[in-house]
Amino acid sequence: MKILIIEDEKELVATIKNFLETEGFLVETAYTFYEAEDSLSSYIYDIIILDLTLPGGNGLDLIKLIRDMNRKAGLLIVSAKNSLDDKITGLDMGADDYITKPFHLAELNSRIKSLARRRHFDGSSELIFNEFRIDTDSNEVFVNGTLLDLTKTEYEILLYFIVNRNKVITRESIAEHVWGDSISYSDNFDFIYSHIKNIRKKIEQNNGRNYLQNIYGIGYKFSER
Amino acid sequence: MKLLQKTNKAYFLISATAFIIAGVTFYFVISFFFRDQLNEKLHHDIKNITRSIKRNGIIPNFYPFFEIKEVTGVPEQHTKAIDTLISDGFEKRKTLYRQVSLVTNINGKEYFIAARDTLLEEEDLLGVIAIVTGSLFVLLLLSLYFINRKLSLKIWQPFYKTLNELKEFSYDKPGFQLSSESDLFEFTELNKTLDKLTQKVISDYQTLKRFTEDASHEIQTPLAVIQSKLETLMQYPDLKKDQAEIIKSAYVYTLRISKLTQTLLLLTKIANDQFPEKREINLSEMLNEKINIFEGQISDKSIKVSKEIGPDCFLETNFFLAESLVINLIGNAVKHNIKTGTININLDKNHLEISNTGENLPVPSSKLFDRFYKTNKSSDSPGLGLAIVKEICKLNKWEIRYEYLDNLHTVIVDF
Repeated sequence: MKILIIEDEKELVATIKNFLETEGFLVETAYTFYEAEDSLSSYIYDIIILDLTLPGGNGLDLIKLIRDMNRKAGLLIVSAKNSLDDKITGLDMGADDYITKPFHLAELNSRIKSLARRRHFDGSSELIFNEFRIDTDSNEVFVNGTLLDLTKTEYEILLYFIVNRNKVITRESIAEHVWGDSISYSDNFDFIYSHIKNIRKKIEQNNGRNYLQNIYGIGYKFSER
Repeated sequence: MKLLQKTNKAYFLISATAFIIAGVTFYFVISFFFRDQLNEKLHHDIKNITRSIKRNGIIPNFYPFFEIKEVTGVPEQHTKAIDTLISDGFEKRKTLYRQVSLVTNINGKEYFIAARDTLLEEEDLLGVIAIVTGSLFVLLLLSLYFINRKLSLKIWQPFYKTLNELKEFSYDKPGFQLSSESDLFEFTELNKTLDKLTQKVISDYQTLKRFTEDASHEIQTPLAVIQSKLETLMQYPDLKKDQAEIIKSAYVYTLRISKLTQTLLLLTKIANDQFPEKREINLSEMLNEKINIFEGQISDKSIKVSKEIGPDCFLETNFFLAESLVINLIGNAVKHNIKTGTININLDKNHLEISNTGENLPVPSSKLFDRFYKTNKSSDSPGLGLAIVKEICKLNKWEIRYEYLDNLHTVIVDF
């Protein structure tokens, strides 16, 4: 899958590119409005990550070009302005999703993959990992063919893990992914632990293996050891 | 005290004093001249009587006005004038008389001669003076009052207009301009100065606001870089425990700055009224839904939640702001709660009340809604949640208050 990152902050681009490449994406970059125009008119991309504040022009003006040249591309807008106006305008103009800076890499990854699923680049809304099969249309998880009885929260956490498998995911990132910004009113994220305990239990009851590792209090990693 | 009352009071006191002094002086002056004239007349009478006795030997007697008696052994006496009380024989009451008398030798005989006149007129005079000065005083006061009132209303009118306009002044509403004009130098100066002052306040506030906004925006990008670098660092497979701990604390603090700048930005936006889009919001549903966000923390602390949420309480407001209000209030009640504490949520058409157990310390309610106010200085949160709630209430013209009763901290919003 081919991704174009349009963003002027080179250090940020480097980090995102590196992260997405480990996820198996093919990543190209554009640092200015004109570079973006060039790339967009020359190549076809599956996913485009677009920062709205760019040297040389407003990112919103690029949306039209993207829709003209790359009709099928999933478009994810990034902005430092946590502005509702930008969000609404962007989505109205044809963007698929909106993420605010600063964001968690795992969150970006999850958004990209969800975009890809929705646009059926993989040809399916199903996600398969070893004994796990997730139907993202019906929000159901099967382990060895048996349906797991998960709450909505547990489902979202498990999906987040599987999408970001082999990556260390912080508890803050999980909390924000599931509950949104409002979760920052919490003193601590210990309550996530009880959700994870429940998920582990439910997987084990269905003879699923324990893929969840605790990483030194930073967060968790879902991977084969 | 109003200006008009104050000047009226001053006028009254000054003119009353002046009139009393003038009245008393007037009385003494008149009285002096009156007696002087009376004396002259009585002297004249005595002269006439003396002459008459000398010439004709007739001794007239018309008591008490003229009294002539032969006396012996009394030394000669020059004329002298005195006030004396004399009974005139008809009434028992004695009357005050002016008397001029002398003892003199006429044709070899000693005579005591006295001429008198009543001083009753003088009493009348006093009454007349009192009435005249009194009515003059009342007349003067009345005219002063009316002139003063008329002038005040007319002259001070631009002042009151300015005052009323200033009451409407708000530092976060640009375009404020004093409209009143006056042909009086003082008021023109006042308005000019006030105009300058208000413009300065407005522009300073705008600058400050823009600064907050720009600073928050500029901070977001470096923070995004730091955060993503730290998240990349975490991915290294052979990370040691101590290394992981360093990364973790750097990461947590980065997130904290990030949250802080975002919150400041939100506060600025609410103050800027950048949430114009309003619609009917079912607050009852929203409350029931948002409490679920905190379900994990509520069960962690074993908090007992009791809800009395009236069905279908609608509010006409911005969705995002209503959501922020609800989340902040519930979040606060959860966060500052104690283990096995309680939260009570009451909602009806006119007010929302959220109370929670917590530290047995009332919070000074004047400070509670201030930015960066924390009861617990070491707390991780920057203390902006209730400041946001207050801004949202201010924008929607809702009343918000805080009460502390029976160990319950209660925040009440009146719609």
